[in-house]
Amino acid sequence: MKYAFYPGCVSQGGAPELYPAAQMICQRLGIELEEIRAWTCCGAGVMQEKNQLFGDTLNARTLAKAEQLGMTIMTICSTCQGVMGQANKRMQDPGYLSEVNSYLAEESLEYKGTAEIKHLLWILIEDYGLENLAPYITRSLGNLRIAPFYGCYIVRPTEALGIEEHPERQTSLETLIKSIGAVLVDFAGKTRCCGFPILTINEKNSMAMVGKHTSEAKDLGADAMVTPCPLCHLNLDGFQPKASKQIQRPIDLPILHLPQLIGLAMGISPGELGLKKHIISTTPLELKLGAGSR
Amino acid sequence: MDVTVKIKRYNPDAERPQVEWQEYPISIDENATVLDALIMIREEVDGTLSLRCSCRSSICGSCAMRINGHAGLACKTKASESIDAAGIILVEPAGVMPTVKDLVVNFDLFWQKIEEVEPYLKPEVPEPEAEYIASNESMLHLSGVTACIMCGACVSDCTVLEVDPTFLGPAALAKAYRFTADPRDGDANGVSRDRLAKLGMPSGMWDCTRCNECVQACPKGVAPMDRIMAMRDQAIEAGFNNNNGARHTEAFTESVGHTGRLDELRLPMQSVGMTNISALMGFMPVGWRALTHGKLPPLIHKNVEDVETIRRLFRKLDN
Amino acid sequence: MLEHEVLIVGAGLAGMRAAIAARAGGANAAIISKVHPVRSHSSAAQGGINAALTDRGDDWEDHAYDTIKGSDYLGDQDAIEVMCRSAGQSLIDMEHMGVTFNRDEEGKLGTRAFGGQRRARTFFVGDFTGQALLHVMFEQLIKSGVQRYEEWFVTSLIIEEGQIAGVTALEIRTGKLHAIRAKSVIFCTGGCGRLFEPSTNALIVTGDGMALAYNAGAKVMDMEMVQYHPTTISGSGVLLSEAARGEGAYLRDKNGERFMEKYAPNMMELASRDVVSRSEQTEINAGNGVNGCVLLDCTHLGEKLIMEKLSQIRELGIDLTGKDMIKEPVPIRPGMHYLMGGIKTDIDGQTNLPGVYAAGECANVSVHGGNRLGANSLLDTIVFGERSGAHAAYFARGQSYINVNENEVVAREEHRLQGMLDRPDNGDRWGKIRLAMGDSMNRNVAVFRDKEGIEETIHELQELKTRYGGVPVHNKGKVFNTDLIFALELGFMLDCAEAIAVSALERKESRGAQFRIDYPSRDDENWLKHIVVSQGEVGPELSNLPVTITKWTPEERKY
Repeated sequence: MKYAFYPGCVSQGGAPELYPAAQMICQRLGIELEEIRAWTCCGAGVMQEKNQLFGDTLNARTLAKAEQLGMTIMTICSTCQGVMGQANKRMQDPGYLSEVNSYLAEESLEYKGTAEIKHLLWILIEDYGLENLAPYITRSLGNLRIAPFYGCYIVRPTEALGIEEHPERQTSLETLIKSIGAVLVDFAGKTRCCGFPILTINEKNSMAMVGKHTSEAKDLGADAMVTPCPLCHLNLDGFQPKASKQIQRPIDLPILHLPQLIGLAMGISPGELGLKKHIISTTPLELKLGAGSR
Repeated sequence: MDVTVKIKRYNPDAERPQVEWQEYPISIDENATVLDALIMIREEVDGTLSLRCSCRSSICGSCAMRINGHAGLACKTKASESIDAAGIILVEPAGVMPTVKDLVVNFDLFWQKIEEVEPYLKPEVPEPEAEYIASNESMLHLSGVTACIMCGACVSDCTVLEVDPTFLGPAALAKAYRFTADPRDGDANGVSRDRLAKLGMPSGMWDCTRCNECVQACPKGVAPMDRIMAMRDQAIEAGFNNNNGARHTEAFTESVGHTGRLDELRLPMQSVGMTNISALMGFMPVGWRALTHGKLPPLIHKNVEDVETIRRLFRKLDN
Repeated sequence: MLEHEVLIVGAGLAGMRAAIAARAGGANAAIISKVHPVRSHSSAAQGGINAALTDRGDDWEDHAYDTIKGSDYLGDQDAIEVMCRSAGQSLIDMEHMGVTFNRDEEGKLGTRAFGGQRRARTFFVGDFTGQALLHVMFEQLIKSGVQRYEEWFVTSLIIEEGQIAGVTALEIRTGKLHAIRAKSVIFCTGGCGRLFEPSTNALIVTGDGMALAYNAGAKVMDMEMVQYHPTTISGSGVLLSEAARGEGAYLRDKNGERFMEKYAPNMMELASRDVVSRSEQTEINAGNGVNGCVLLDCTHLGEKLIMEKLSQIRELGIDLTGKDMIKEPVPIRPGMHYLMGGIKTDIDGQTNLPGVYAAGECANVSVHGGNRLGANSLLDTIVFGERSGAHAAYFARGQSYINVNENEVVAREEHRLQGMLDRPDNGDRWGKIRLAMGDSMNRNVAVFRDKEGIEETIHELQELKTRYGGVPVHNKGKVFNTDLIFALELGFMLDCAEAIAVSALERKESRGAQFRIDYPSRDDENWLKHIVVSQGEVGPELSNLPVTITKWTPEERKY
């Protein structure tokens, strides 16, 4: 299994624990990653507000490069997945695609519209197969209660995410949590917004969202929350102290990146997976896991 | 086809009113909609069930409710596609708006926000004797927004309204766009400066968190979030860019346009304004925590390998 | 006590237009509606609105002629002249209010062809013109500041000394009963489609205002003229707009033949609606249909046109029949759609009861006579909504409020409603009675009628009326008690049904939408007149009114 790897800006920026964790588990699972050369920021939906054409053009370059490699793109960020998926959908219109390609012509690049973009979460379920993942799950997570937090861009809008052909994607995170042996904590906020996009615009609302969803999961007994989106992680983890202050109650819910959760189940140490970088301490989680802190 | 419709009920006339779930096992036609099922329940099984519905054809907007946790029109949702593994369809009243009884919610908040955006044409130039001249393209574009039937599905599922009822919300903002994008509204060039200024205030267009719930929920393809984004663009074009949202969008785009990647360290500061000392100070605790945990984005932001190509594209496409 | 100079009942297009006009005329006006204004059934109108614009080289007299011929000469020509002459200005007014009409290449208002008209003069917004107009009218209503009583259900009229004094209304959200005093009342409550099953009409179209006015002594006219729309979806009865045929769609039988060739060789699918419905039903009855339907074929129109001009009905086709009209024909059949008949009014909306007005589908001026042309209804609502509102404001200026003992009136009405709630639970549910009525009407008072059939229905309606007296109301609560509302509506429907059936029996000829198998020809000598029904001591009393003829002599009607 080989994929054109698209790490996204944040996995080496504000959430630098994600990139090595993703690489680590892929390497152990035998998933080969070839990082797309000189990949550019997907725009995160923010750039698309200002200039959708420019955003689509940059993403078209990324998609064209993957086409040249003949591989499916792997993303490790819900936002990258959603934004590139939406761009890809727009470019299925031949008129628009040829307009975008006119800007790529000077680099002798051409996007033919055939690239596939898949998040690691979907790859594990659809391509790799959970039954093939099972032998690598060597550490029992039996007593660990995990709440899923998808991140808006990997669940909406459904047309840009292939949900019609793959309806199981809508419950993929829950399926994965259960398959690696943890206890699923279902809660209403799992597909809602973490508030990251409005962090610098309306911090009060952003914190209210973090506070609401983390405390809901915590009250239902979650030991940790897992998310396939590092932007959500930035808010849910990095700003959890601020949110806790705003809603005037302690939360203390560790937030895990998807590869970190899988890595723990594969017996990799928390330290190697970068759990020490998190703002919200993962020590209680590690103790429950009996994993030790190194 | 046998289904069980599980409805969240609430009766304010009861001695001790409380929310409770009631299950109705019924038999309906294969092609029935969820509304067909609800109408059958209220006509043949339980006359105390209250819900709003009228046209049965997705045009009156009465029957918006949450089906299996997501807002939509009951008359446009096929029962056969809504059954879970146990043969149950979960039906609840719309979110955000308070419940009056059963599936009927109080729409006061919804209409108050619609009225707040002054939802009627306000031309600033004298009316022509005959019709205004306008391109079919512009009218078709607007019809995509006037297709809104005010059903409230978008408001029901809005993640911002869920935590902040002062937000104007997707329906009112989409309605506002319907006017800012109308060539007959506003000045001689069709620019509605007054509206854009007001809509850029707190709790207005910049407070949308871009979660796509409204786009997903809308049964008429209005895509309120996309209209809000388009309106943000109009606001920036009209010169209303002295706010964090506009700065955020512009700084992000500049960063990627010049380097190919996002400069995460500088973006928050550029969003609040590099001279906004108090806001910058507010970042210190978070910044410090990030630094001590090894999560501070690099001070020196690197360009991508073929940055010159990126810059050329940006210069060509920057509007 | 709540009081207003002009009280408009019903907030669809006609009602809202009347309210705005009344307010502009200086009156203290208020509008009351059992649903929020934008939920009104005007939103379901799809195809367009007619107007003859002189700067296009069109002539309002042509429009008038098409309308008069369409009415099978039962329309009152003076009223039709008023409507067609005002149409151009009304259309421009709507555009100035902000309606996003489709345009032509020059950016001017664009038109489409429509049934029964020799020239394209139907202005449209995609295939959801009604919704577009309704929402703009609501925007203007907000702007006007008219007082709105939203989700208030009028349960009775207050009549003092033979004069209208006001209404009693149930505030649906709380269950509280109110009395509202008014110097004049304008009924804009729409048709009564729900008394037929199936019907294109929404569930709220139950003839409330018609029945209230009729029972208070207002004359209703031409009630037998019930329009069956040619293209409705089997089962639900939901409408697929005439706009499809206006854009060029064909009607085909099971062998793919365009059967309209036999019945209307000139206008084919765009003959008047009664002609097309009868043709379809004849073919279906002869075994040339598919599962009781014929086929609406839009496949040759192309995806671009359908997406630009017929997007809504394409969605409806997919949602409700599973067929995409871009790729395959959609099965349709005639379905009850519109009532040409209604409360008799003059050209200013006045009824025979002083201070009581009517406009829109519940009124009958008559501009539609025996058959309404498509896209004339939206025009009717705006023109006569405006005229009624303006005239009512003028009338109210010269009136004082009539004394009403609020407590007594409210107590009496509360007692009556409580009596309904207190009935034993074992009677027939309202839904069962409505279905029986709907079936009976659709069987015998539909496209093809005869004496035996109509009499059978009249008899069945009597029986249903008796059973209606025992309809239980299972919901005993106050808040949003729809069970009580449906029981009240059923009463209104039964009254309208009776007026329709006796009128159909009385008219011993075929004209417009009424086709009598036992009297298959038009008989101008004996029947060029309106049939009027009044509520008498022991039941409906029939009388006649002459048809007003100005310029156009009745002739044979061929398409």
